[in-house]
Amino acid sequence: MKYFEPTSIDEAVAILAREDDARCVSGGATLVAMMNADLLSPSTLVGLRRVSGIEGITKNQQGLRIGAMTTHATIAKSGLFVAGMNVINRAANQIAHPPIRNMGTIGGSISHADPAADFPTALIAANASIEVSGMDGQRLIPADEFFLGYYETAVAENEFVTAILVPKGPENAVGEHVKVTRVDGDFATVSVSLVLAFNENQCSYARIAVGAVAATPLHLDEADAVLTDSALTDEDIDNAAALLVKASDPIDDVRGSANYRRALIPRLLKRAVSLLKTDA
Amino acid sequence: MSTDKQVITLNINGESIELLLDGGETLLETVREQLGMTGSKRGCNQGVCGACTMLVDGEPVRGCLALSSACSDRSITTIEGIADGLNLSPIQEAMVEHGGLQCGFCTSGMVLTLSAFLAENPKPTREQVRHALSGNLCRCTGYTKIVHAAMHVAEAYSA
Repeated sequence: MKYFEPTSIDEAVAILAREDDARCVSGGATLVAMMNADLLSPSTLVGLRRVSGIEGITKNQQGLRIGAMTTHATIAKSGLFVAGMNVINRAANQIAHPPIRNMGTIGGSISHADPAADFPTALIAANASIEVSGMDGQRLIPADEFFLGYYETAVAENEFVTAILVPKGPENAVGEHVKVTRVDGDFATVSVSLVLAFNENQCSYARIAVGAVAATPLHLDEADAVLTDSALTDEDIDNAAALLVKASDPIDDVRGSANYRRALIPRLLKRAVSLLKTDA
Repeated sequence: MSTDKQVITLNINGESIELLLDGGETLLETVREQLGMTGSKRGCNQGVCGACTMLVDGEPVRGCLALSSACSDRSITTIEGIADGLNLSPIQEAMVEHGGLQCGFCTSGMVLTLSAFLAENPKPTREQVRHALSGNLCRCTGYTKIVHAAMHVAEAYSA
């Protein structure tokens, strides 16, 4: 297996275009695990650790730019995730265990597109966009349009994720990520990422994403609309959850049955709302 | 020999070692198979069990998921580099004293995780120790004594 360490985005793209069956690798937490399980055997690896400009979190007018090579641990410990952007920080804190958080990167995690992973729902709840780079430069893909299926994304051939752009969102918003797992550190049986803003006791903004209940993270404008301008009563939450349950398409697997997953959606949504009511 | 291999220098336990590496080779494979250092264990090979835990630049990582080629110019510590000659490190001593090991398979990973954790958090609570060990599985389920050992070291530090 060949291994390259380009130092620029352009050089990395050129290697991806030149080599057959090349895969980018950052921390290895997903790609090497797939290789160890004999699910993938690329002929060439493009190590991204020396590529300049794709690591770290920077604040700008619009919000935050998270370089693709930023580790889960860096995001988990960062104080920059204010207001609703906090949903991303909360998700990072719940990914696997400390050693995995030291290795895994946000770009690698979302490129893998496991519907039970924590970042995909968090990025959708935060209304983030994914920056991918290729032969024709860069393009931005809204998180809602990035995940196409199980382990499938909108990243085209010879492109790779270089950053995640997170808008500030409403100033008074708060974000939370909750999940049910069989044991500490496991992938989610079901997860919910939620961003809410309040005006007095009224909800003025809501964005919900549910993980591990379909091939891609589940986000419905109609469900957000049920919570927005509501008083977030149990009935409001049940109504929003009912729409999400109806749109979900969960599978039976070792982490839970499809029915169990459907039953978890309203419960996790209630848990997330109640945590955020305490925060706000 | 495959032409895909490259000569890469790794710094392992303070020693610079030149190695011929395939791009897909993991740190765990390198230390066990090329260097014969078998203290790091291959458990799940998926990053779940923690038996292959090593320190890279002082931070615990999974040896089975780290590509060796991506570790040049980084400082790697395996269980073989934890004791000072025949003098065990404080956490190794405490593991012996408190019976913090049964079959021993998880022990090297436990010791490395705890070494890094205690260096950063010299006075942890029991709960923090348990959290720090959440990514290291002991199938003998001897966690209580491992936590005792860690708390013993923490108390010795703070004394």
